Amino acid sequence: MIEFHLNGRSGVAPYLQLIHQVRHALRLGLLREGDQLPKVKDVAAGLAINPNTVLKAYRELEYEGLAAARPGVGTFVTGTLGGGSLAAHGPLRRDLQRWLARARRAGLDDESIEALFVSTFRSAAEEGIA
Amino acid sequence: MIWLTWRQSHLKAASAAVVLAAFAVLLAVTGPHLASLYAGSKIGSCQGSDCGGPADDFLQQLYGSSLSGASSVDGTGTYWLLYLLGIVIILMAPAVIGIFWGAPLIAGELEAGTHYLAWNQSITRTRWLAVKLTLTGLAAMGVTETLSLMQAWWATPISRAVGRGGCCSPIAMNQFSPLVFATHGITPLGYAVFAFALGVTAGVLVRRAVPAMALTLAVFAVLQVVMPLWVRPHLFPPDHTITTLSSFAAINVPIERGTLTVIPDGFDSQPEGWVLSSGAVNTSGKPVSAVPAACMQVMQSGKASHPALLDCLDSHGIGIAVTYQPASRYWAFQWTETAIYVAFALALVGYCFWRIRRRLS
Amino acid sequence: MTAVIETEGLGKRYRRLWALSDCTLSIPAGFVVGLVGPNGAGKTTLLNLATGMLAPTAGTIEVLGGRPAAGPAQLARVGYLAQHAPVYAGLSVADHLRLGAHLNPGWDAETARSRIERLDLSLGQKAGTLSGGQCAQLALTLAVAKRPEVLILDEPVSSLDPLARREFLQDLMEAVAEDGLSVVLSSHLISDLERVCDYLIVLVASRVLVAGPVEELLATHHLLSGPRRDPATLPAGQHVISASHTDRQTTLLVRTSDEILDPAWTAAEVGLEDLVLAYMNQAAGRGRHNHHLEVRT
Repeated sequence: MIEFHLNGRSGVAPYLQLIHQVRHALRLGLLREGDQLPKVKDVAAGLAINPNTVLKAYRELEYEGLAAARPGVGTFVTGTLGGGSLAAHGPLRRDLQRWLARARRAGLDDESIEALFVSTFRSAAEEGIA
Repeated sequence: MIWLTWRQSHLKAASAAVVLAAFAVLLAVTGPHLASLYAGSKIGSCQGSDCGGPADDFLQQLYGSSLSGASSVDGTGTYWLLYLLGIVIILMAPAVIGIFWGAPLIAGELEAGTHYLAWNQSITRTRWLAVKLTLTGLAAMGVTETLSLMQAWWATPISRAVGRGGCCSPIAMNQFSPLVFATHGITPLGYAVFAFALGVTAGVLVRRAVPAMALTLAVFAVLQVVMPLWVRPHLFPPDHTITTLSSFAAINVPIERGTLTVIPDGFDSQPEGWVLSSGAVNTSGKPVSAVPAACMQVMQSGKASHPALLDCLDSHGIGIAVTYQPASRYWAFQWTETAIYVAFALALVGYCFWRIRRRLS
Repeated sequence: MTAVIETEGLGKRYRRLWALSDCTLSIPAGFVVGLVGPNGAGKTTLLNLATGMLAPTAGTIEVLGGRPAAGPAQLARVGYLAQHAPVYAGLSVADHLRLGAHLNPGWDAETARSRIERLDLSLGQKAGTLSGGQCAQLALTLAVAKRPEVLILDEPVSSLDPLARREFLQDLMEAVAEDGLSVVLSSHLISDLERVCDYLIVLVASRVLVAGPVEELLATHHLLSGPRRDPATLPAGQHVISASHTDRQTTLLVRTSDEILDPAWTAAEVGLEDLVLAYMNQAAGRGRHNHHLEVRT
């Protein structure tokens, strides 16, 4: 069974953090289909957060098809993340390799490439909010 | 709630038990000897007015002698001291109860904030208060009355001696004298329940235990002085009579002023009565202030209470006009005074209920 | 569904100062309600009114549809943990449990016993020798084991160290998860409440400034930054809570249920703490005299 943690200062809503941790665990293979997610009561008591927050996260996971609640028993993992493992994204990977080659030819070193990527990634994410 | 009241009263119960037990032991150890002293005096076999002498002797013996019967300085007799001790304990019991049981009862909870805990359980404040007051109040009454009854049993020889006309010493207090009236009968009950209610009310008003204790002590002390001095004498209209000088136990005749005063306990026909006031009067009932010249000569030759002086004054037609309460009214006084205190106690308790129900935070 | 607490124009006056004025709330059941405000704002007064420790001077209050402290049945439905977790110093932990059992018909002895065991409290220990955190836990056990429908707590963690604070909130959340309790807890620090509350009431200087589910509040409050502008020029549906200006830039905290359509604004989400602070600042600016009433409890 996985264990949750919360970063109170990250600015990300607690229920989203829980969802991310489930999805991350699925990606890493720490959670497999059929595994039980921790009980709402245990998560709420462990993290000192409102049980409704946990419920909200679990409901969202259900909506995404990743989990299902069995009344009286608990919440269980039912699906895997679409797209399987990272290895499945062949075309995206090739596009990325081509972009990296171009960035090197333009003269960027490793740190500059990383900075460029991160700032572009972040501003693209922010554009979604305004 | 009964359990909680009991659990919070462990210290009270223990201290009361210790006091009762110690007092009981003291009385039980000394009582039989006192009774045998009484049996040894001639009071049991005397008749009517003959009893005055033996009774006086017996009481004098108690007043001025030690346990073994040996004569010692007046006023240090063991039994006299024990008698006083008992009276003091019974007089103090209501005050102690009011201060230590009553004042902290509610004030302690308010001060500590535990009323937040107590008043948010599933019982109403009214019931909480009712159980606390009833149980502790009953205990207060029980303790005080038990002390009083134990003492009354122990002091039976003394009160019998006084009843047979014993007099003339501080130990010879009759049933109406302030110290005895307040410590025998049912008045201790009334005082206890009133002092307790007073303490609780002080606590509710002041909301802190120590100031409430001080307030209780002050008010109770004042009332215990006011009652015998100014209220008790007027509870019933007194009787009046004119009687002869010789029917009084002792008469003070200060030579310079020539006035006559009597000891206000009782007189021959009313040994257990209460003399409220007295004054010398002549045959027509007018007050007399001067000792006749003839009797002054008799006085100079002997003690002020010499029988010859009395005969002289008698022969000049001088008597004593007495305002008094007859002995038969003793229980009427007891019940009335107790009822007054109980009524006040109930009023105070009613106030406490009202105050606590309304708001108190 | 019956509101947990329903007030209408509720007010409480001590002599000449109003500790609480014109309070109208309708708190739904099933929430963990955070009551936030500075010291002296009236939080304790409101909670005391809800538990019947005080009677209102004006207005009405109903808890679970009944008058506070109206009778044993009403008292059984509401649990209260007062400030500083009062317990009987001379009574042991076990005595306190017996107290609960004797005074509450709905007492759940099993819950009480297992909680005390888990908390590692020694049954024979006098409550006066417990630490602050342990007292709070004992008081919480007493409040929870009587099986109330709503639990009211007045600054339960304010005087606790961080570890005790965390443990207390963990315990509280476990009780909420197990029993579906509604909870109302007050604090003068929003950080205490952020993790656990899903309904927020901000009380400043005897008045309720904002009340509502946290989700809704966060969704309807936006931090707008853009070129310098007079707040009065905003559309009608947008209420400015706080405003700050530099010579070129204006930053506003607005409350609105509409979308922010004006492209001049960059809108960002507001955290709960900033939201509460903005309201408190607004109240401080509005009133020239702050009636800080220290309520004697």
